[in-house]
Amino acid sequence: MVERDSRKPDPTPRAGWTRRGVFGSAAALGVGALAACGGNAPSEGGGSGDKTFTLYWNAGHGYAAYTKLIKKFESDHGITVNWQKFQWPDLQTKLAADMQSGQVADLVEDDGSGWPLSYAATGDAYPLDEFIAKDGEKIGYPNDWQANALRNSRYQGKTYGIPLHLTCNLLFYNKTMFAAAGIKQPPSDWDEFLATARKLTRGDQYGVALNSDPGYLSPWMLQNGVRYWDPATKKVMTPVPQAIEAMRFQHDLIYRYKVSPAPSATADYEGPEKLFVAKRAAMMLSGPWDFAPIKKTAPDLDYGLALPLERSVRATNFAGSGVFIPAKAKHKDLAWDLIKRLTALDVENAVTRETGVTMPRKTWAKQSWVQDDKQVGAVARALAYGTSWPNGIDATGKAPQLDDTLRSAYQSTIVKNGDPAAAVRNFRSAATKLVGG
Amino acid sequence: MVATVERAAAVAPVRRRAPMRRRQARTALAFLAPALLFFALLFFYPLLRELYTSVFTGPRADVYAGLGNYTKAFDDPVARHAFWVTVQYGLGVVVGAIVLGLVLAVILNQRMRGRSVFRGILLVPYLTSIAIVGLLWRNILDPDTGILNRVLHSVGLPTQNLLAEHPLATLVAVAIWQQVGYTTVLFLAGLQGIPELYYEAAEVDGASVWRRFRHVTLPLLAPTTLFVSVIGVISAMQEFALPYLVTQGGPDNASDLYVYQVWKTAFGFRDFGYASALSYLLLIVILVLSLVQLKVGQRGES
Repeated sequence: MVERDSRKPDPTPRAGWTRRGVFGSAAALGVGALAACGGNAPSEGGGSGDKTFTLYWNAGHGYAAYTKLIKKFESDHGITVNWQKFQWPDLQTKLAADMQSGQVADLVEDDGSGWPLSYAATGDAYPLDEFIAKDGEKIGYPNDWQANALRNSRYQGKTYGIPLHLTCNLLFYNKTMFAAAGIKQPPSDWDEFLATARKLTRGDQYGVALNSDPGYLSPWMLQNGVRYWDPATKKVMTPVPQAIEAMRFQHDLIYRYKVSPAPSATADYEGPEKLFVAKRAAMMLSGPWDFAPIKKTAPDLDYGLALPLERSVRATNFAGSGVFIPAKAKHKDLAWDLIKRLTALDVENAVTRETGVTMPRKTWAKQSWVQDDKQVGAVARALAYGTSWPNGIDATGKAPQLDDTLRSAYQSTIVKNGDPAAAVRNFRSAATKLVGG
Repeated sequence: MVATVERAAAVAPVRRRAPMRRRQARTALAFLAPALLFFALLFFYPLLRELYTSVFTGPRADVYAGLGNYTKAFDDPVARHAFWVTVQYGLGVVVGAIVLGLVLAVILNQRMRGRSVFRGILLVPYLTSIAIVGLLWRNILDPDTGILNRVLHSVGLPTQNLLAEHPLATLVAVAIWQQVGYTTVLFLAGLQGIPELYYEAAEVDGASVWRRFRHVTLPLLAPTTLFVSVIGVISAMQEFALPYLVTQGGPDNASDLYVYQVWKTAFGFRDFGYASALSYLLLIVILVLSLVQLKVGQRGES
């Protein structure tokens, strides 16, 4: 009886169908969900995708002035801006993946070091010359932009990026510590800097805090007349003796004169700023990007900003950011319109007033309120000594490898107390294999 | 009539079983379909795609290179250095986690008060996101602003700069700290599976505590040790987050683990073809290592 019953056809066929239906639906949902995984990816053309404009931005630059501007941009064009924000390294990773997949944003903020050139070299950035020919005079480009700031924008005679922010490295000093040590003026050249740092070093307090990030190597090199990249001779880090001297000076500040702690060997480049606000370092090299963190963590800190130091020349490196349009962007005209709005003088002023970030326009720098502002004015004056450290090296297509090699060389001497001359020689040897010269 | 009934009985089960099996197969397939779809789309397709990419070069991986990326890897001092660093890292983490995990498991296997609480606490680092673990230790070990140096300084001890002086060993220690809770739990499960009878018999034979551990506990824990070591090697060879978060492979490439180097090659240097080839070489190494471990383990067990 039992056996017979077990041989009966399934008494609940509907259950089987229901299960199948459920699995069918689940599979469809699964595929849908997988497709939706690309939700953060820029939209394709057609359908609702045409109504979405994708903007990649630095996570720290989502200022209120830009938020307001983007809302206006959305309502003027009847579109939605998919505004995605990343830290610089994550943005670089995202861009590399996007370029590989062909799913790109409409407008991208870059870190000012020359990304547009790297992408131009591989055909992944869109030339802006037609737009500039049409609107350049109206918006003041390029005449109203500081000339040195444009060196990381042009590749083979075409313009691929527009500088958005223009900042630079300068000397931050703690006025209270200076007064306590009887120092009346901030140092002006390397000798004065060393003497000042020695006077200020006592107990747990250091005269200066150097950074483990190789980006902070550049002011010293530029002040000693060293170029990272010479496009004419295709050589890196020349002249070599001056490069070694600049590297040795930083090394000696830490290991010979002991006026700076050895920089932390972590991924964190904020060590000097932390020591500066903790009043454990009297000086540091930094830029406007540290104004807000200092204000937040030590609002009462009495500090001043001095011009960049001088060795053979008074110089500093430009920092900041720019914008570029990927070659496969769907909304290039809209992207150019947004560039024009982002770089308008009134928007630049609003951003500076909000954050203290400095700008690349000459007319911005000439404004009396900019000149009179204690912090912004100091940076604006320092910008006159600014120069581009990458100097167009991204056009070689090997800038990331070179930067990685430089990081290794810099850390070998600054963090690990290695021979500065060997660090420079090793870097040049590796760099020569990458770019010749 | 009887013959007809018998024939019918003889064929009926065959006729009736076939649709049942088909139904079962369909049901099984339906149950498996989401998983198969998931693995096919997110594992097997990317794996095949990566294999295809590995024979191309250039920023768009569109220039055919044949096996050039594979041969390049053997001549590339950076890749060789990263591989060697990873081997040291893997050895350190696997041996450290096994030894420490075993010691802690033996201790926590004793009858003691608060045993469950200790077991729970030990698992916390393993359950914590690697991002939090990396940032936590980066901040603790920072020589200038980290809490460890403040504590050392306050009690009059010399301060440390471990991340500059011993970056790889420090990453190994952090990884062991994170993983030891997991290995402890696995060894505890293994210990609890050993019948008490064996220990009693050894004790009757006059075996000391050490001999009981050496000749009873260790051999009977061999399957657990094998499992922990295979999983540990696979995980250690693929480590990415710690060097990325804590040291960025530095200083001076001292903690430049292999997968971090692969990531730099792909997303920093935009050489997806070479990065894919490097990944496949690592896959082969991991497969070989796992097979060797399994063979050695099986021989040990037999």
